[in-house]
Amino acid sequence: MEKQYMLEVKNLVKHFPVSGNKHAVVHAVEDVSFRVEKGKIFGLVGESGCGKSTCARTIIRIYQPTAGNIIVDGEDVSYKKNRELQALRRKMQMIFQDPYASLNARMTVHDIIAEPLRAHKVASSRQEVSERVYDMLDKVGLSHEHANRYAHEFSGGQRQRIGVARALVIEPEIVICDEPISALDVSIQAQVVNLLKDFQYERGLTYLFIAHDLSMVRYVSDEIGVMYLGQLVEICAAAEIYEHPLHPYTKGLLAAIPIPVPKLARQKVVSSIEGDIPSPISPPPGCHFHTRCPYAKPICREQEPELRDMGGGHQVACHLY
Amino acid sequence: MNEMMRQSLPDYQIQTPDPWAALPVNAESREKLWSKSRTFVGDVWFRFRSKFTSIFGFILIVLVLLFALVGPYFATFTYSEQNLDFVNTPPVFRAINCSGGYFYITDKLKVLEIDAQGHLVGKVESIAEDYEKKQVTLSYQGGEIIMDYSQSPYTMLDENGERIEEAKHIWNRTYLLGSDNLGRDMLARLMFGARVSLLVAVVAALTNLVIGVLFGSISAYCGGMVDAVMMRIVDVINTVPLTLYVILIMVVLDAGLLSIILALGTVYWVNMARVVRGEILSLKERDFVLASRTLGSSTATILFRHLIPNAMGPILVTLTMLIPSAIFMEAFLSFIGLGLTAPLASLGTMCNDALATLRTSPYQLFEPALLICILMFGFNFVGDGLRDALDPKLKK
Ligand SMILES: Nc1ncnc2c1ncn2[C@@H]1O[C@H](COP(=O)(O)OP(=O)(O)OP(=O)(O)O)[C@@H](O)[C@H]1O
Ligand SMILES: [Mg+2]
Repeated sequence: MEKQYMLEVKNLVKHFPVSGNKHAVVHAVEDVSFRVEKGKIFGLVGESGCGKSTCARTIIRIYQPTAGNIIVDGEDVSYKKNRELQALRRKMQMIFQDPYASLNARMTVHDIIAEPLRAHKVASSRQEVSERVYDMLDKVGLSHEHANRYAHEFSGGQRQRIGVARALVIEPEIVICDEPISALDVSIQAQVVNLLKDFQYERGLTYLFIAHDLSMVRYVSDEIGVMYLGQLVEICAAAEIYEHPLHPYTKGLLAAIPIPVPKLARQKVVSSIEGDIPSPISPPPGCHFHTRCPYAKPICREQEPELRDMGGGHQVACHLY
Repeated sequence: MNEMMRQSLPDYQIQTPDPWAALPVNAESREKLWSKSRTFVGDVWFRFRSKFTSIFGFILIVLVLLFALVGPYFATFTYSEQNLDFVNTPPVFRAINCSGGYFYITDKLKVLEIDAQGHLVGKVESIAEDYEKKQVTLSYQGGEIIMDYSQSPYTMLDENGERIEEAKHIWNRTYLLGSDNLGRDMLARLMFGARVSLLVAVVAALTNLVIGVLFGSISAYCGGMVDAVMMRIVDVINTVPLTLYVILIMVVLDAGLLSIILALGTVYWVNMARVVRGEILSLKERDFVLASRTLGSSTATILFRHLIPNAMGPILVTLTMLIPSAIFMEAFLSFIGLGLTAPLASLGTMCNDALATLRTSPYQLFEPALLICILMFGFNFVGDGLRDALDPKLKK
C-alpha cells in the first residue's frame, strides 16, 4: 500500500528582514524538506533559535513562506491568501510553546475553548457550543467549574491543557505542537505528553512535535528530524536515532541528555557540543555546523552537504558519510 | 507535639501514624483553584478603591454630575431669567439697618431692600439727588430715607442725619451665589455651564472611544500601506490648530455649542488613535493573537475580542487624561469668544463675562473658575487612580 502523507514540506525557506539593514536577512528556515505520514508523529529537534518555531508558524501560515511549498493532505497551501485558508485552519491546529502568552487573559476558559467552534460555525446553537466545551474540559482533565475562570488564574500545566483543548475541540487532523512541554515542570510534562498521546490514539491524529532536546521526543515520535541553524541535518526513525546517530550534531544532542546511571555516564564517549550557535543573519559558508564540529574537514568549510539517504529512510547531511 | 500539629491541620485528615509520610495525592485538590475569582473590572475596581485620591476624584465628578443634572430641578431660577433690578448682587450682603429695614447699596449707587433673612425685596425708588452733598433721597414706606455716598463705604443716614457706620453681613438668599451683570442667577448658570462641560466630556469620550480606538486599531492591525496612509491623515489633522479649526467650522455653521462639539468630535481623537496604534502594534505579535489567527477567527473577532480588550488599560488612562483637556478646551474657546452665544452659559463664557466687573464683583470670576478646577481635579485624580489600578506590575 502506498504511504499517505498528511504533511509534505518541500524546500521551505523563510527569511525575516533585519530592521535597519536592507540587505541583510535572518535565515530562520533554509531549505527544509520533510514528510509526515498520516497518523504518525514527526519530532523536530534543535537548539533554541534554530528556527523550529518559525518552521511551524510558516507551515500553519502565520508567516508567508519566502520560498518552497507546503502540502497539507494533498493540497498546496503555501501561497494561499488569508481568506482561502479557512479549510486549512480546520484541518491543522497548533499548540503553542508558552502557555502563559498564548491564552488571552481577558477571556474565560469557556470562551477560549469555544473560539474555534464559533470561528468555523461548526456548532448550531449556543448550547451545542457549551456541550462541546464541557466535553473537551472533561477530556483534558479540567472540571466544569473552571469554565468561567480567567486563564491567568491557572497553573502552567492547566493552561497548557486549556491550549490543548482549544486546538483539539474542532477535531483537526494534524496538530503542530511547538514545544508544548518545554515551559512546564518536569512533573507536569508527562501529564501533557500523555494527554497528547491519548488523543492521538483515540482519533488517529498526525502530530508535528517540536522539542529542543531529544529526551522526551524519542519516546513520543515515530520519526525525528534534527534541525541546525535553519536546516535539517538528519532525518531518521526514532528508534534508530538513539542506536545509530550519524550527524555529529545529533550525537552531541544525545550526549546532552542526562544519563540516570552514574556508571554509564562516566563512560560517555562523545562530549556535548561546545561553542555558540552562529548568527542566522550570516550563517557560516559550507556546512553550517563546521564551526562547532569536532570532525570538521577542509571540504566542510567550502561545500554545503546535501541530505542523502543512508538506507532505510535514514537521511543525513554530512561530508563524513 | 504531633497530636497538636495534626489537630491544627484538620483539612488533610492525616491517617498514617508517621507524621512525615507523604500525603495521599488527591487529583481533585491538585486541580482546585484556590484564588478567589475576580473579573478584570472587579480587579481594577478593587485597586482603584484602595487609593484615597482616586476615590476623592471620583466623588468630585459624581457631585458635579448631580449638580449639573439634578440641580436645575431644585433651583428657583433658570439660567436665562434676568431681573435688571438685581444686577451684580453678591453672595453676602453688607446690609445697613435703617428705619426698620435692611438695605444694600450696589456699586451703581442703587439701593436694594432686603429682609432680615436675606431675601431681596425690591429696589428702593429715589426721589431726589443732591449732587453737592453727594446724597440721594429715597422713598420708603411712605417716609423718606437718605443714602450718603460722600465717603466710602457708602451708607444710609439715620433720623439725626448721622452716617450709620455699622453694617451686618447677611447671606444672599435669593441668589445663593450672587447674580451676574444682567441680574441672572449665578447658581443656575453654573449648573448650565457644568452641563455644557460634561456634554463636551461625553462627546470627547465617545469620539475617542469610537473613532480614536477604531482608527488606531485598524491602522495597527492592517499595517503596511493602510497604516502609513491612516497615520499620515492623523499627522495632517494634528498639524491644524484646534482654534483655527473651530473658526473655519464657524464660518460654515453658526457660532455655538454645535461647532465646538463638531470640531472636538472631528479632531480630538488623534491622540487616542496614536496610543491605541502603539499598543496594538505590540499586542498583535503576541502568541494569543497568533493563536486566534490559526484558529481561523475573523479579523473582527481578533480586533474586538482580543486586541481592544487587552489594550483597555492604556485606552482608559488616555481617556481620563483627554476628557479634562477637552473640557478645558471648550472653556478656553468660549472664553476667547468662539463658543456659546448668550444667553447660553458655559464656564468659559461666564469667566469672560466676569472680566468687566472683576473689581467690584470678583465672585463672578471666582465661581466658574472654581468649578473648572474641581472638574479638572476630579478627572485627573481618577485618571491617575486608573493608571495605577490598571498597571499589572502593581498587582498584589
Ligand atoms: N518575526 C521575526 N522577525 C525576525 N526574526 C525572527 C522572527 N521570528 C524569529 N526570528 C529569528 O529566527 C530565528 C529562529 O527563531 P525561532 O523562534 O524559530 O527559534 P526556535 O527554534 O523556535 O527557538 P526556541 O527553542 O527558543 O523556541 C531566530 O534567530 C530568531 O531571532
Ligand atoms: Mg520556538
